[in-house]
Formats: sequence, C-alpha cells, structure tokens
Amino acid sequence: MAGTVIGEGLTIEGEVTSDEEVVVHGTLRGTLKCGDVVSVGSGAVIEADVDASSLSVAGHVTGNVNASERVDLQAGGRLVGDVKAARLTIADGASFKGNVDMEV
Amino acid sequence: MAEGSVIGRETVVRGNVRGSGGLEILGRVEGDVSIEGDVLLGDGAAVRGNISGAQLTIGGAVLGDLRGTESVLVEAGARVVGDLLAPRIGIAEGALVRGNVRTEGEPALAPPAAKRPVPGQRPISSFSAPRQVSPSITRPSPVEARPIERERPAERVEAKAQPAETPATKSSPENEPPPPIVPALPKNARGKKKSRPK
Repeated sequence: MAGTVIGEGLTIEGEVTSDEEVVVHGTLRGTLKCGDVVSVGSGAVIEADVDASSLSVAGHVTGNVNASERVDLQAGGRLVGDVKAARLTIADGASFKGNVDMEV
Repeated sequence: MAEGSVIGRETVVRGNVRGSGGLEILGRVEGDVSIEGDVLLGDGAAVRGNISGAQLTIGGAVLGDLRGTESVLVEAGARVVGDLLAPRIGIAEGALVRGNVRTEGEPALAPPAAKRPVPGQRPISSFSAPRQVSPSITRPSPVEARPIERERPAERVEAKAQPAETPATKSSPENEPPPPIVPALPKNARGKKKSRPK
C-alpha cells in the first residue's frame, strides 16, 4: 500500500512533503517534495513544482520537475514544464512542453 | 481504489485539503481539512486546523475544531484542543478534550453509538410516568403527589388536563388560602407606592 494517496475528488492546496511513496489521483496545487516515488494517475491534475526521486506521469502535470533518478512520461500523460532528471522516457502518445536537463 | 485518500505517516501537508471521498490521515496536516466523506485521524497523526467531514474518528492530536455532519468520535489516547460539533459525539475514556462540545442536528439514521440510547430512554420513561400518576392522584394522598409535580414538569400538564380530579384533591386538605391573597396584592401594591414617596 502506498504511503500517501491523494484520491480522486480530493484537492490539496499547499505544500506536501513526504518521505514515502505518493500516488496522486486527485488535484494538487502548490509544491510536492517527495524522497520516494511519485505516481501521477491518469485523472490527476498537478499544478505544482515536483521534487522526487522518480516520477511517473499518466495525468496532467504543470510545473517544473526535479527528479534524482528518473521521470517517465506515459502515454496519455501531459507535462508542461522543465524537467531535470538523470533519465527521462517519453512514451508514444504523451504530450510534453518544456526543457530537459539530463545533467550531462 | 481512487475512492479513499491517505496522508501517510511520513507525509506533511501544509495547506488546505478538501474534496470528496474518505480520508485517512496518518501523518501531519497544517491547514483545514474539509471532506464530504469520512475522516480517520490515526494514532500518532496530528492536524493543526479545522476538520469537517461526515464521520470523524480521531485517534491523534488536533488543534482546531471538529465538525461532523454525522458524528465525531474521539478515541482513547487522542488529544483535541478545539470545539466538537456533530449530531452524535463520542468521547472515549482516556481521550483528552479541551473545548466546547455540542450535539446538534438530526441524527442521520439508527444510532450505532453506545451513548445514544441513554438519553433516548429518559423521554420514554417520563411519558409513561404520567399515565401511571393520573390514577394515583385519585388516591387520598396529596402529600405524595405534590413532590412528584415539583420534580417533573411534564406531570403538571397532566394534572391541568384533568380538572375534575385536581380541585377535589386540593380543596379537601388545605381549603385554598392562596386565592384571596392574589387579588389583595394589587391593592396593597398601590398603597405601598403612595407610602414610598413620603
């Protein structure tokens, strides 16, 4: 079971800080800092800067993303913002607008 | 899933949480929580802000008001500094509450809480009591009937509703000395008013 689940229909406005897995199916506005994996479900809406070890996006994310390990943008996912991560995958059918910094 | 939300043990939320569906708080929230569903605040969790939801079950620490549209249950070991407002409120032994507590609104359905049947039994016994007392008034014992009238105001209505029995009991032991005093009072009052300006 995931540590933190923001369910469908739930809205958090503010700053979320976590050291465990965060799964978002609802709405998050503000800031998300996570020392673990962040999963953004297909119906989720995130309007926040995301700081995580790794990020998986199937929903909508608007904001800058900073991942220490990897970012996976899945099919149907949408990401608007700059991405700073060692690894980045963008699946066919995903939308992305922003700069990528892979720390080369 | 997608119905229930969880704020995990290692998670801190600074801001407001709102929406529908159940919410389980195991970590910390610094802000208001407004949920249409049920809220479960686990042991070790802490909320600095108001919580509103359908059924609130509090096992952690809250600094803020608790408002439940159905119920608020404060479990043992919980600490609440704030007001409690719900149709049904339960505070377990070992819980710490500092604030105003009000049970308001209609109870949603059949009350599952153990404390609810206790106030519900009192009106049942008071309604059944006047039916038993009304034949007791006919007994020649006005001394017993009077202290019961002072204790329970509901029985006074029963006594007035039966005028045929009550004057018979009152006139026989005392012959009613108070009625002549009552019309004499305004006459004496006028006389005192005249004497006071002197």
